Amino acid sequence: MDDNKQNRKVIEAEVPMGPVHPAALEPYRLRLFVEDEIVRDAEMTVGVNHRGVERIMEGLPVEKANSLTEKICGICSNSHIWNSCRTAEIALDIEVPERAIYIRIIMEELERLHSHMLYLAHGCEVLGHETFSMRLFYIRETVMDLLGMIGGNRVQYGSAVLGGVRPRCELDEMRLQKITEGMDLLEEKISAFADRFVSDPMVMSRITGVGLISQKDALRLACTGPTLRATGVANDLRTVMFEYDPFDFDVITQDDGDVKSQLLMRVFENFEAIKIIRQAVRDLPEGPITNRSWEMKDVPLTKSYIEVPRGTLYHSYALEDGRVRNCVIRTPSMANIGAMQYACIGHHITDAQLSIVQCDPCFTCTDRAIEIINI
Amino acid sequence: MSLKSYSRGRAIHVMLVYTGGCNGCDIEIVNCILSPKFDAEQYKVFLTWNPREADVLVVTGPVTKHNEKPLREIYKAIPEPKAVVAAGACALMGGVYKNCHGDIPSEEIAGPVDQIIPVDAKVPGCAVRPQDIVAGLVSALPLLLNAD
Repeated sequence: MDDNKQNRKVIEAEVPMGPVHPAALEPYRLRLFVEDEIVRDAEMTVGVNHRGVERIMEGLPVEKANSLTEKICGICSNSHIWNSCRTAEIALDIEVPERAIYIRIIMEELERLHSHMLYLAHGCEVLGHETFSMRLFYIRETVMDLLGMIGGNRVQYGSAVLGGVRPRCELDEMRLQKITEGMDLLEEKISAFADRFVSDPMVMSRITGVGLISQKDALRLACTGPTLRATGVANDLRTVMFEYDPFDFDVITQDDGDVKSQLLMRVFENFEAIKIIRQAVRDLPEGPITNRSWEMKDVPLTKSYIEVPRGTLYHSYALEDGRVRNCVIRTPSMANIGAMQYACIGHHITDAQLSIVQCDPCFTCTDRAIEIINI
Repeated sequence: MSLKSYSRGRAIHVMLVYTGGCNGCDIEIVNCILSPKFDAEQYKVFLTWNPREADVLVVTGPVTKHNEKPLREIYKAIPEPKAVVAAGACALMGGVYKNCHGDIPSEEIAGPVDQIIPVDAKVPGCAVRPQDIVAGLVSALPLLLNAD
């Protein structure tokens, strides 16, 4: 990749995009080096959104820092607050009640549903099928209503607190009934969408074989989450997380590694998420939802990994006098930047945006302080 | 009602600019215009990404230093008459990102939107609710329709 750029042999023209561009929802800068409308090299620059959340977290009390991590991303907000609480719980040896873990998992899987549905809607809009996109936004409203009912807010629900979940997020009989009804409705609607989607010859010919990432390259570029699983690697952190032990679900993989398998991957993962929510609602244990008997102490650097809708999320910080020190957050979209650049190369320039969107970019998550090494 | 404002009222184009918030407001706004549930398109409100055909500029997020210049340029590119709606807690006052540790302003943030471009309507909320967005857009419409 770099050889082309330095020697300037094959590069005919450069198409710059961004930071604000009609085709891109979020601000980022993309330079496409094209030769006869074929992309030969791509360079993506993030950093426009950098707000320095880690810097603001430095020295905050841990409870405040937890609720601040939620504001990193509006799509996977629950994942951030859950992982931040989980880091502190590992550090301080707080035992989370079982009911709280189940409620957290219900929130997380609802979030996975809405994130994947948003991804599919965005993908369909970029590939030019606005009817599918609107349809998916409509299906997504079912999940948003459930999240709003549980958390009181449609986007930033803040369910996890240190040692359990917020009392507002307690699930009573009426809420469980509504979740069950919502899951039945969702399964029906997503199945109908999936049938319609795979039987549409126009859409299938548009997305088959576009934005190829081979399995070898996906591993080399350190992809994570569904982007990696769509190339055939069964890598899912949920299989090793103790929170997910009681649940029975499959790790979905696809073989091709193109846009089609990436999109279908999310459709199938939605069904797995529905399966997990149904199990959690059925087996929801009785008991308290918060554990308040814990003591603050100084802890060296503690880390926690969880599987979120986009891949592996990493939080680590140390605690001094109840305050957060040396916070590091590594989000899954950041690991997928390499794949986004790579997937554009060798394809037509009109497919470049689709190749980037297939890796589920979230540039608010992505803008962390990082060092990129050449691979 | 003049012919100009009549025709303008039949095709309100909303441009969304995202200046470094958390994506939450952003998606809710796209959702409120595109999704069949809220469906602002039935009131002839359309989403566009081109500043030259936009009438209303919706800004979300605390404006980061990098986004300040693009935001000014986009504001200049929109033809008169225009209205600006700032949506979300970050756009109104900088939200959680404005200050680090009490009153020390964060060096990444160029300030709330009204310090950079004039704002006509403000929509509070973190994240904004789609109902509030529609109300905010409607409250900014007289500026466009009574312009001449």
